[in-house]
Amino acid sequence: MTALTKSRRAKGSKLQRGEGLAGWLFTSPMLLILGLFLLIPVLMALWVSFSDWSGRGSPLSGSVNFVGLDNYRDVTSGGGLDERNFGISMRNNAWYVVLVVPIQTALSLFLALLVNRSVLRGRGVFRTAFYFPSVTSSVAITVLWLFLFSTSGVINKILSWIGVNGPNWFNDPRGVVHVLLDKIGISGGPEALTSSSFLGISLWEWSSGPSIAMFALILMAIFTTSGTFMLLFLAALQNVGAELDEAGMLDGAGAWRRFWSITLPQLRPTVFTVVTLGLIGTWQVFDQIYTGTQGAPGKTTLTPAFLSYQTAFTGQKWGHGSAIAFILFVIIILLTLFQRWALRERPVPKRKRLRRLKSRTEEGSGA
Amino acid sequence: MSQPTKKSEPVKIHPALTTRGGSRSATPLGQLLLYALLVSLAVIYVFPFLVQIATSFKTDAEAASDPISLVPQIWTTQAYEHLFLRSDFPLWFLNSAVVTLLVTLGRVLFVSMAGYALARLRFRGRGLVFALVVAVMAVPGVVLLIPKFLVLKQLGIYDSYAGMVLPLLVDAAGVFIMKNFFESIPASVEEQARIDGAGTFRTFWSIVLPMARPALITITILSFQGSWNELSHFIVSTQSPELTTLTKGVAQLASGQLSQGTQYPLKLASAAIMTIPVAVLFFIFQRHIMNTSEGAIKG
Amino acid sequence: MLGVFTTEVFATELFTTVLELFKGEGHMRVNKIRSLVKISAVLGAGALVLTACGGSGFDDDEDDNDSAQGTNGGEEGELTSSDEALEILIGSSGEAETTAVEDAVAAWSADSGIDAAVSVANDLPQQLSQGFAAGTPPDLFYLAPESLAGYAENGSLQPYGDELENKDDFYDTLVENFTYDDEFYCAPKDFSTLALVINDDIWQEAGLTEEDYPQTWEDLTEVSKTLTSDDHVGLAFGAEFERVGVFMAQAGGGLMADDQPEADSAENVQALEYVQSHLEDGTFAYAADIGAGWGGEALGKEQAAMVIEGNWITGGMENDFPDVNYSVVELPTGPGGEGTLQFTNCWGLAADSSNQQAAAELAQYLTSAEQQLIFSDAFGPMPSIESAADEWTDNNPELAAFLAGADYAQFIPTLVGSVDVIGDFNAQLESLASGDPEAILQSVQSNLEAIAE
Repeated sequence: MTALTKSRRAKGSKLQRGEGLAGWLFTSPMLLILGLFLLIPVLMALWVSFSDWSGRGSPLSGSVNFVGLDNYRDVTSGGGLDERNFGISMRNNAWYVVLVVPIQTALSLFLALLVNRSVLRGRGVFRTAFYFPSVTSSVAITVLWLFLFSTSGVINKILSWIGVNGPNWFNDPRGVVHVLLDKIGISGGPEALTSSSFLGISLWEWSSGPSIAMFALILMAIFTTSGTFMLLFLAALQNVGAELDEAGMLDGAGAWRRFWSITLPQLRPTVFTVVTLGLIGTWQVFDQIYTGTQGAPGKTTLTPAFLSYQTAFTGQKWGHGSAIAFILFVIIILLTLFQRWALRERPVPKRKRLRRLKSRTEEGSGA
Repeated sequence: MSQPTKKSEPVKIHPALTTRGGSRSATPLGQLLLYALLVSLAVIYVFPFLVQIATSFKTDAEAASDPISLVPQIWTTQAYEHLFLRSDFPLWFLNSAVVTLLVTLGRVLFVSMAGYALARLRFRGRGLVFALVVAVMAVPGVVLLIPKFLVLKQLGIYDSYAGMVLPLLVDAAGVFIMKNFFESIPASVEEQARIDGAGTFRTFWSIVLPMARPALITITILSFQGSWNELSHFIVSTQSPELTTLTKGVAQLASGQLSQGTQYPLKLASAAIMTIPVAVLFFIFQRHIMNTSEGAIKG
Repeated sequence: MLGVFTTEVFATELFTTVLELFKGEGHMRVNKIRSLVKISAVLGAGALVLTACGGSGFDDDEDDNDSAQGTNGGEEGELTSSDEALEILIGSSGEAETTAVEDAVAAWSADSGIDAAVSVANDLPQQLSQGFAAGTPPDLFYLAPESLAGYAENGSLQPYGDELENKDDFYDTLVENFTYDDEFYCAPKDFSTLALVINDDIWQEAGLTEEDYPQTWEDLTEVSKTLTSDDHVGLAFGAEFERVGVFMAQAGGGLMADDQPEADSAENVQALEYVQSHLEDGTFAYAADIGAGWGGEALGKEQAAMVIEGNWITGGMENDFPDVNYSVVELPTGPGGEGTLQFTNCWGLAADSSNQQAAAELAQYLTSAEQQLIFSDAFGPMPSIESAADEWTDNNPELAAFLAGADYAQFIPTLVGSVDVIGDFNAQLESLASGDPEAILQSVQSNLEAIAE
């Protein structure tokens, strides 16, 4: 906001009056569209989430009643299917976030380090290869994924070469964690987990991990976003100085340590960004579910975003759907704020780093 | 993208920390390993797309029995014939093209106007407008699915091109990019023009916009890609089959709402065609995109 | 996805700004908050103005709408009438069905002089819901019985069943299926039942003859075992109540009995345990688990020797697997006797339609014996009227088992919210192999009780 306060010029009042009008004229299309299609919709949906509107006629008509927190209560503590569906969708998405965010961050950083070396031959080709999945639409990628991970598809074929009998990916509702536990002989949950529940599903069900179907979608998310975030890291790497031996990881232990103690701290702001973006994006999984699984198998790919859509548009429970959307909204905001707070408050050992952070903050406010 | 890495002051790096290019110290074996790793990773990233194209020329039976080979035993364009001659696919493509074109044109204009005003023009309430832009960006897209439908209905533009295009005409991120860009270039040229008596809009049109070419390219790419790949907005803004876009049509094709059986060649062909325009855009502006990170940051 | 990413990058920027806002970077804070409040207020006022203007997209008040049409609609049972063309929305199984319906509607149009256009929905439930909510639904449309209650309750549908001249000709169970609150809402357009569909070649290779068609669960167990090999399973079906439910019916159970939830009955437990035991020993399998999209595909690709499917399988086999020979026989009886499920759709009529009279006439035309026999010939299902039964059986002797099922078929519960309950049941059925039948059925029971109140 420094630009605002810092007066660059004082050209006389006439010119400024003209500017005032022009300013509003120039921003009016934007204001109109953002107001109409973002702000008003949000207010309207907020109303619907507190109303008993049944999907016919206007939600603002007189026959629609204010029902207080009923919709929110049904979804979070009603004890019925609404709560259970919401709980299941939260479980699914939480596992998705927990796996996608760290892996995509690590992988994109790794890719960036690999292709950042200035002497690397053909690095443009490699960058292009890694980035290409990011330009395609989520619909096209999902279609491709459904084929790759079909029962007799490419992935299972490859697995069979190494003697692994691949799972029936998109039709397998078993949770990955439970499958692994089963392998070591634990097939039922302990009483403590099965008897207590949160959001309508037992803690044992919470612990199931992503289903194998969801796991395929997790791999897809990592595949499509790692290229994008690689670009972010590349930009950051170029900014922290090409002289740094950023890609020396393969050179031995010394380089490894240098990476941890020098390169990574310099990249800290970018890591923050990537993790934040990851969190925002991974809580909004919709396209893949709509295109691919529609929540199946066994509701294990149901996400809050898709559930909100489905509840409203096909289930005709508009209040519930809107309530889910707002809960999701709050979750995303809180998580992001929490994550930024958590990462910011950590003690910063080096003076230089502190200075960097500080300079960032100043820019942030200046932007 | 500008914020995390933009630097107003250069970061000083202690001389001891700088090395002389890691690769010089790398052993030939290390080099070999590095390339092996890179090549195998690249294969993982590219192979799926090759499979997609190859499978689209296979028969249904071959797609199921031999999913992995990149050369179909029997070449067939059955899938493409079906898409173009016996389905609504051409219509979907046309709808996507029309919407994308309109959105891209509109967005480039509106977003650069707003960005310019926020960066350069002094007017009462500028802070307020900026705060609005910031505020709406906090709202995650999926939260808007239900409400956007409600408002489109209320305005009477539900299930029309207007309803599909208008809400996409401005995106707050684009305004940010343009605002940052205009702040990064010197104001002297345009100020001269304005003192010489040119009106604000003429200055903007004939002096400012031409200077903003790099940022406009970025906006064009983002708008094109964003609207071409958009799905959820079209789901909630239309119901007629005549207004189905590629994303919506292919998504419904994929989730089996239009067909029985697996029909992978058909689905993969539709996905492949859908990828072509963005892929072409990507390769045309490859240099620009790959440097977007740098370009946008440096401004 | 560059777009996504940049948007999100700037979302980050936003959070920085918001954070600063709350951290209080000096003087900026108060002003910014004030700004935000002001914006919200202005736009909130905008929303109110919008409301006040009435919004052209809505019919705020149904009665207004009806009186605007010059006729009385809704509750009175009288149908609206105007010169407007009809819009018909169908969910088609393929080109055969689309063409057949289009031809029939065109013939009616030529006859009646009222224009009517048929569209095929890509996603029927979604398009219907959006149409109702937007106040612009199609006039006449395919409607599934499980959607009836919900739409009837919020006033989206116009009941017209009692106006039909052929209303007594419909099978009673079908009329019951489309009756809500004692009102017969819409004309059943046709129906299907489930039967056992057998791949003849596999059957004969295994040394079995027509004599061996399974009559009881024990027989089914026996032949499934004989037919199971490395290449295929004995019996395959979808992992859903809409298939597994036949075993519940045969055990003497079912989800509802006398309009009361009965999901956790001993009969149902017995049925699921029977299915479970054979999923475990590998003689039964869910279609998806053997890589097939549905039973017909499993049968056609010889992944299963027998499948449980309905009349629609004839069209599917003709299109996708014309060379596969198959036979349709009645499902075996279980401990509770005969049992199958029936499926039907009706021609729903929108309350917001401006030409209900014509739409109801069209529905009557489309459900006439003559039309239904043409439809049946084109894409499979059986006529919903008894007067067409004999001719249908004469035309399709090899499919007689489907029609035989009509005598004892159960239907899917149609309570408001039953779609969700069955959806949840289906989700649990997918992991039946490792699940606890009793626990699954108990959860279904409590869900049903919740909506039956």
